[in-house]
Amino acid sequence: MKHVFRLKVGPVAFRIGSDWEAPLAQLRRLYAGYPTPEGICDFTVRVEADKPWRRRLRPSVAIRGDYVLPDAAPLPLAQGLLAAEMGMNLQMALGQRRYLLLHAGAVERDGQALLLTGESGAGKSTLSALLGERGWRFLGDEFALLGLGDGELRPFPRAVSLKNAAADLFADLPEERFGPVLSGTPKGTIRHLRPNDAAIAGMHDRVPPALILFPRFGPERPAAVRPVGAAELFMRLTQASTNYVALARTGFDALTRLCRSVPAAAIDYGSTEEALALVDRLWAAR
Amino acid sequence: MAGPRYLADADVLAVAAEMEGLTIVFHQASGQTHILAPPAPQILAALAGDAGDEEQILSRIGADFDLAPAAPAALAARLAELEAAGLVHRP
Amino acid sequence: MDERNEQPGGEAGGGLVPSRRMVLALGAAAASTVVTVRPALAQTAGSVMHCQIPVPAPQNAGSYIAPDGSVVAPGTAGAFPPPPRPLTGEEAKALLNHGPTPAGLDPEAAQAYVNYIRRLQAGMSGFTCYASLQMPR
Repeated sequence: MKHVFRLKVGPVAFRIGSDWEAPLAQLRRLYAGYPTPEGICDFTVRVEADKPWRRRLRPSVAIRGDYVLPDAAPLPLAQGLLAAEMGMNLQMALGQRRYLLLHAGAVERDGQALLLTGESGAGKSTLSALLGERGWRFLGDEFALLGLGDGELRPFPRAVSLKNAAADLFADLPEERFGPVLSGTPKGTIRHLRPNDAAIAGMHDRVPPALILFPRFGPERPAAVRPVGAAELFMRLTQASTNYVALARTGFDALTRLCRSVPAAAIDYGSTEEALALVDRLWAAR
Repeated sequence: MAGPRYLADADVLAVAAEMEGLTIVFHQASGQTHILAPPAPQILAALAGDAGDEEQILSRIGADFDLAPAAPAALAARLAELEAAGLVHRP
Repeated sequence: MDERNEQPGGEAGGGLVPSRRMVLALGAAAASTVVTVRPALAQTAGSVMHCQIPVPAPQNAGSYIAPDGSVVAPGTAGAFPPPPRPLTGEEAKALLNHGPTPAGLDPEAAQAYVNYIRRLQAGMSGFTCYASLQMPR
């Protein structure tokens, strides 16, 4: 690959190769302040021309790397940054074996972690980022990494992908922390947001989880809280983990330990303020 | 005439966790995880390393539990589920 | 793990304490007491990847799709021309769930496309995308 960018996020080192410099230049700016990994990287992502002639003629980007999804649609070069981000997600989703991966956001407070998990699009990503700017330390919005032996979370603070109106919630943050506006993506208009300095500085900590929430946002939803029992939690988290099955017995032990030791609840909310209030209340009562 | 006999691995319940009355079991032979509600775990325990037909299963369970009246097809349905999940087989 | 821990016993030091035997119900014939955990790649794949299903596969480009989803020669009576572009995972999901026909697709042809997708097998182009739509949430 002509152009290369190396990036360390929490305990994971990525090597990102690209046929073009532009997406990597955008990545470098987005991840300013992040450590550069030394030695061999854990995963390789390749952002490359979908077909050889697509390097110059209406350039179209295929996401490749150690792990690939064969039916992935190519993206236009203007969305190369998004391709690199999706590529990193894919390597984690398919290749991570050192930690139990949960599709969840995570934030830290008082030395403990709150996990926000549930269906894509339910609001956990935006909520994690928001909490990260309101007194909590941001640990990640897409993947939570659970230690197999110690049951503690490792931060994985990648740039947050904010869709459409969600970006407005962060309008008061410095422009320098944002990536370019990417319109016409498979998910609509997206902007990436770099986590703040506290999140970057703390990315090597380990944090024990203390509360798991399943947030659901809907404009007409009345605020509601429903406790989630350990067995239901277990079932739901197996669906939120891409590597539970691959981790076999070790995954079973890690997940049962988590479900037996950490309380969980489902929360419905209709506004940001409601969400923050519910989180504060449940955190205090954990 | 005795019906078909079923058998589970002797260690079928060796790696398991109880939560809220459900038994979550990691089946070492297959690497699969199953969530079991009563009476599935009790049936498995009755067949662990020890083959038995329906009559024998009921007798073994009856040593520890009082069995509520049940439809005749109930036990067969439970065994079919366990067989489909790969937790019991016919030796 | 001791599977007999369901049973509450009387355990007093000394003295006989009658133990209360638990009642076990065998359940209804139609009940479900065994749930197997299935891999959940789809959850993350959906947020990670934008996948597509070419109809038909590239090596059959130009062939028509019969109403039952099989691939037939172009121009076959009763069969439909292929869609102008590969279907996205979202569009396939909408079609599979009897949702509205995606923009740019002929509604009659849509049913044929659905049947084509349903016949996809491992190794065929678009299968991974299709499989990821099937995973339970």
